[in-house]
Amino acid sequence: MAVLSRREFAALVAAAPFASAGRMPGAAPITAEEIVERIKKNIGVAWKSDSVDTVKAGNLSTIARGIVTTSMATMVVLQQALKVGANLVITGQPTFYGKTDLPTSSTTQDPVFAGKNEFITRNNLVVFRLSDHWRQRRPDPLARGIATALGWAKYQSAGDPLRFELPGLSLDTLVGHVKNGLRSRGGIRVVGDPRIRVQRVGLLPGTTSIQAALKMLPSVDVIVAGEVREWESVEYVRDKVFSGEKKGLILTGRVVSEEPGMDVCAEWLKTFVSEVPIWHISAGDPYWRPL
Amino acid sequence: MTAGEVVERIKRNLGVPWRDTTYRDTFKYGGPDTEVTGIATTVFCSFEVVQRASAAGCNMIIPHEDIYWNDRDEVAIVGDDPLYTSKAEFMRKNNIVVFRIHDHMHSQRPDFTYVGSARELGLDPKYETAPSSHRFIVPETTLGALAAEVRTRTGARALRIVGDPKATVSRIQLGVGYATPAVNHPDVDVVISGEQQETDGMLDSPEYVLDAVALGITKGWIMLGHAISEEAGMLDMAQWITRFVSEVPVRLVKAGEPFWAPK
Repeated sequence: MAVLSRREFAALVAAAPFASAGRMPGAAPITAEEIVERIKKNIGVAWKSDSVDTVKAGNLSTIARGIVTTSMATMVVLQQALKVGANLVITGQPTFYGKTDLPTSSTTQDPVFAGKNEFITRNNLVVFRLSDHWRQRRPDPLARGIATALGWAKYQSAGDPLRFELPGLSLDTLVGHVKNGLRSRGGIRVVGDPRIRVQRVGLLPGTTSIQAALKMLPSVDVIVAGEVREWESVEYVRDKVFSGEKKGLILTGRVVSEEPGMDVCAEWLKTFVSEVPIWHISAGDPYWRPL
Repeated sequence: MTAGEVVERIKRNLGVPWRDTTYRDTFKYGGPDTEVTGIATTVFCSFEVVQRASAAGCNMIIPHEDIYWNDRDEVAIVGDDPLYTSKAEFMRKNNIVVFRIHDHMHSQRPDFTYVGSARELGLDPKYETAPSSHRFIVPETTLGALAAEVRTRTGARALRIVGDPKATVSRIQLGVGYATPAVNHPDVDVVISGEQQETDGMLDSPEYVLDAVALGITKGWIMLGHAISEEAGMLDMAQWITRFVSEVPVRLVKAGEPFWAPK
């Protein structure tokens, strides 16, 4: 299941400053640890040790040859990172399938945990998670990423980067635009009448609770969210729609909703890491659905 | 008969002790003294379900899930929203009483949510490895063909699948609602369930399945959506209640799938 097409991946490799990465000419060697220290210094929020933002695999003393950011460091993303010559991967989601994010399964000798860990070790990759602190950064990099991906920067509210005032369009048309812009496949799901005219859009990237939807929906026509609990915001919007309000909810999935923010992350890293090349590689939409 | 009498009969016939510590299985609107004209079971007590049940003469609703868009049905969370006010006002005017059955439905044997979902999916009991194992060994098929069949049988518009559609599969683990079984069990090819958080859980199935595929290990994940997953079992719940409630009609009022999906 290729996330990038062969042609897209070839273009990515061709566009790379150095096909096999490595240090920039004249640059001093830099370790993964030094890069992580620079991230902590530049993130703009106080670094908390009680966080998921830690190294998940590999050795921080490794000399970095290139950096890849991604919403989720899947095997396919790791393989592509290796192909471009990068050995430090900065991921938004867990690497080992859960909040504890350890390279071994708690109950079994699991071949997927083991296979991925072995691949990382054999190829001297380092995987660092950047999630809690990244989403606290201001202005909100997740909102900026989605705004750029959807071409909405000019519609963004000055006071709240999560809100947009679009030229009026149907919910159906909006869904098509979001699907194409975020390169969604089968993960996109919608609540609401496709024919309603909508204008005010609010973003809730990542995973959000009913409180977030209750707070946002009254002042927007549509919420574009990553994931919510179905017994919370989905049923809330369903009831809103039934009661006659012209509202909608577009769910893209958490991984897809956080991907554009990791593109922003790659650009941000370039502002304080010049020693090695930096790429963003999309994890893609995990889901498909039958026609 | 009163709503309280209906609940007493449910408790008496359940076959497992009632746990008063449940915050889920309680009255969510109205109370035990309301005179019942008819009973509607449903997976989600949506505003539409409330109105359709009422129009069909059923003023007692027994939903599996919450009514005020949060699991504890805490009014403090939603009380400021005018939608809460209009939903509650409709129920008041129409003498509606709502009693949720969730925890005890899952501890009852059989658990009707599994019975209903297996029936809807065409997972014949003859394929189940043991009663209530919820594991079915079906004749070999592909994940793509299985997904297409699941879609046809459930009508789910917003079904989501992870895995290689060409993979040969036969060992299916059925989950319901948010109780999605671990996809990494060595005896399981495919998990079919309702809903699960995408990442930061106990076992993040989407990433696990993507990586399994990349490592050449057969795994598949089919998410029906929460409503589709548990709706069919509410028919079994309605039929079970008719065994000990003959005074008023009992019927399923479907909430249906909340989603649509673009082409």
